[in-house]
Amino acid sequence: MKVIDSFRIVWRNLWRMKLRTALTSVGVMIGTAAIVAMMALSLGLKESAVKSLENFGNLTEMDVEPMYYNQEKDEPIPDDQRKRLNMEAVQELKKIPGIASVMPVKRLNEQAKLKVGRREGYVELVGVDVNESAAYRKNDVEKGNYLTGSPQEVVVAYDVPREMRDVEKEKREARRRNSGGGRQSDMPPDMMGGGGEGAAFNIVDKAATLVLTREYRIDDEPKFEKKELRVRVVGQLRKSENFRYSSAVYVPLSVVKELNDWVNRSRGNESDEGSPRRTREQAKKDTFEFDQMTVKVESREQVESVVKALKEKGYEVWSPARELETINKFFFVIQMVLGGIAAISLLVATIGIVNTMIMSILERTKEIGIMKVIGATVFNIRWLFLMESGFIGLIGGLAGLGMAWGAVELVNYFGASGGIMDSLNMGYGGGGPEGEPSKLAVIPAWLALFAIGFSFVIGLLAGIFPAIRASRLSALQAIRSE
Amino acid sequence: MANTKGELTVTGVNHSYGTGKLRVPVLFDINLHINRGEFVALCGSSGSGKSTLLNLLAGLTKPEEGSVTVSGEEISKFSENQLCLFRRKNMGFIFQSYNLLPNLTALENVELPLIFAGESVKKRRAKATEILNRVGLDGRIHHRPNELSGGQQQRVSIARALVNQPDIILADEPTGNLDSKTEQEILHLMREMNKENGTTFIIVTHEQEVAEQSDRVIYLQDGRVVQKRTRPA
Repeated sequence: MKVIDSFRIVWRNLWRMKLRTALTSVGVMIGTAAIVAMMALSLGLKESAVKSLENFGNLTEMDVEPMYYNQEKDEPIPDDQRKRLNMEAVQELKKIPGIASVMPVKRLNEQAKLKVGRREGYVELVGVDVNESAAYRKNDVEKGNYLTGSPQEVVVAYDVPREMRDVEKEKREARRRNSGGGRQSDMPPDMMGGGGEGAAFNIVDKAATLVLTREYRIDDEPKFEKKELRVRVVGQLRKSENFRYSSAVYVPLSVVKELNDWVNRSRGNESDEGSPRRTREQAKKDTFEFDQMTVKVESREQVESVVKALKEKGYEVWSPARELETINKFFFVIQMVLGGIAAISLLVATIGIVNTMIMSILERTKEIGIMKVIGATVFNIRWLFLMESGFIGLIGGLAGLGMAWGAVELVNYFGASGGIMDSLNMGYGGGGPEGEPSKLAVIPAWLALFAIGFSFVIGLLAGIFPAIRASRLSALQAIRSE
Repeated sequence: MANTKGELTVTGVNHSYGTGKLRVPVLFDINLHINRGEFVALCGSSGSGKSTLLNLLAGLTKPEEGSVTVSGEEISKFSENQLCLFRRKNMGFIFQSYNLLPNLTALENVELPLIFAGESVKKRRAKATEILNRVGLDGRIHHRPNELSGGQQQRVSIARALVNQPDIILADEPTGNLDSKTEQEILHLMREMNKENGTTFIIVTHEQEVAEQSDRVIYLQDGRVVQKRTRPA
């Protein structure tokens, strides 16, 4: 028998007893709708929690540092066993499945000031290995280009030009205020505010100056020394969800190394070249280490496994992603509990299918006998009855999915208008980083497919016993029955 | 090896219904051989065992003792599934109460054995239409059984039995529910099919008319073959 023919026969039989089919399917529909709705609610809440987490930073970006404390053994990790953030570590991290790219960074230990024309602002100087970071950051360039390796090139983060202040304008305004008879302010313009998120100006391809100030003491008197570096802004990155790099100015690693040396010298005494401290620094310089490594994970689904792998290799991870595991565990339990409760109604529906199919066999005993006499095999009879019960499950599943979808839409509609989401998001904004509205409940494609498949399988399982019973009927006795 | 298609042999068959004290013997030491293309009537009074013998020949019942061989295959040793497949390929059935599926049209009822045989829609529709035309139902093929007369339903039943082109047709009181005129028509139709296709017909009947038109009549009495009469040529 061809499958398509068997489906035609099954459909005809179901249509023949449409009321019974519909009533039996209602049981499955309610069970499926309950399971889908419960799961959708749980998934929606989880999604919402994860989005709230994303407000603290991009979950696929994480900072990696050596692990200093072994929590399993509850003891500090000795210095000689601690991981070193060097190029070897970069290669090790790259081998972890799920890590798309690694960006080792060395930060300047002091804040720097970036001046472009009349504007200036404080920035964080981040030294990067140009080759390694290119893979990480190249796609994030919004305007201009990425670093090529020249020490005179810098790339700025999205917020940098927005945070810069027009110094000339501020001075003019201050003079205007003072000429109005007020007491002349002795506050430097830097302290007068006026920065904030201003209108962005085009910073790319502009000459700029990086200004560093070092402090040193002579006879306990604080002295300041300035150093200016002429650079060119070659590119600007697009807006990032990672607030840690919001005021970053990326420069080649060698520049930061050199500037850190200059800053560090200023903190000590320039004359104690031969002191033990200097020797230690010299030794450190020989085995150069980064301050931090930032890794990008290919997708959010891989974040957990990457975090686990990093910890196993002896690294500490600093990212909101650390909380993902807890969230996942919590919502897994919630899903199991809610799904379990809903599964009870599906179990009842399954018994309903079994009952309907047994009734159907009793009514159609003669028909089964005729089919066996004219050439239906045992397998044919089993297949027909299995498909019949499977289709009852499928119809119920589809209807249940529709019902759950309607319920989810209603919940989301009233949830959104009732401000439930705002309270659930604890004031961090309901939307994710992209600003799309969060939903109280969501039915992902996999859940919809699972619901349909599951209801069909439930129907099939419910049909096993009746199908075996039908196939075992004696053809002779069946044909004689009325 | 000789061609045994359409031949039936019953050897030393004893059969009874029930068990223990309720055991009722039905057939005693039955030995029969039916040739290919024969038109045989199984006659006898009620309870003589003729329907039981037909069921044994169809493989719907297994004999307690003895063997039943159809078209060279000892079907009494077959499993349930083997019997289903064997019947599909080699046998057609005609029943007194027609046994058509009420929710299917005449055409669909005739198509059913071909559906189980895995025939394509086009082929089976053509075959079913042709055989329904042959039994004189060309204008009624899309009617359901409840829209057909008894004689028409039996014609559908004959068409269904023949559509697989089996070697053997087993009929249990095929004219039992029909008036005498229709009985004649149906009998004539079966005889025609028998002659045209060389199909072996075994008909259980207590109608004298049927017996008279058969090549051979086997009489049963209290579960024993008491007489075998061959129609004079």
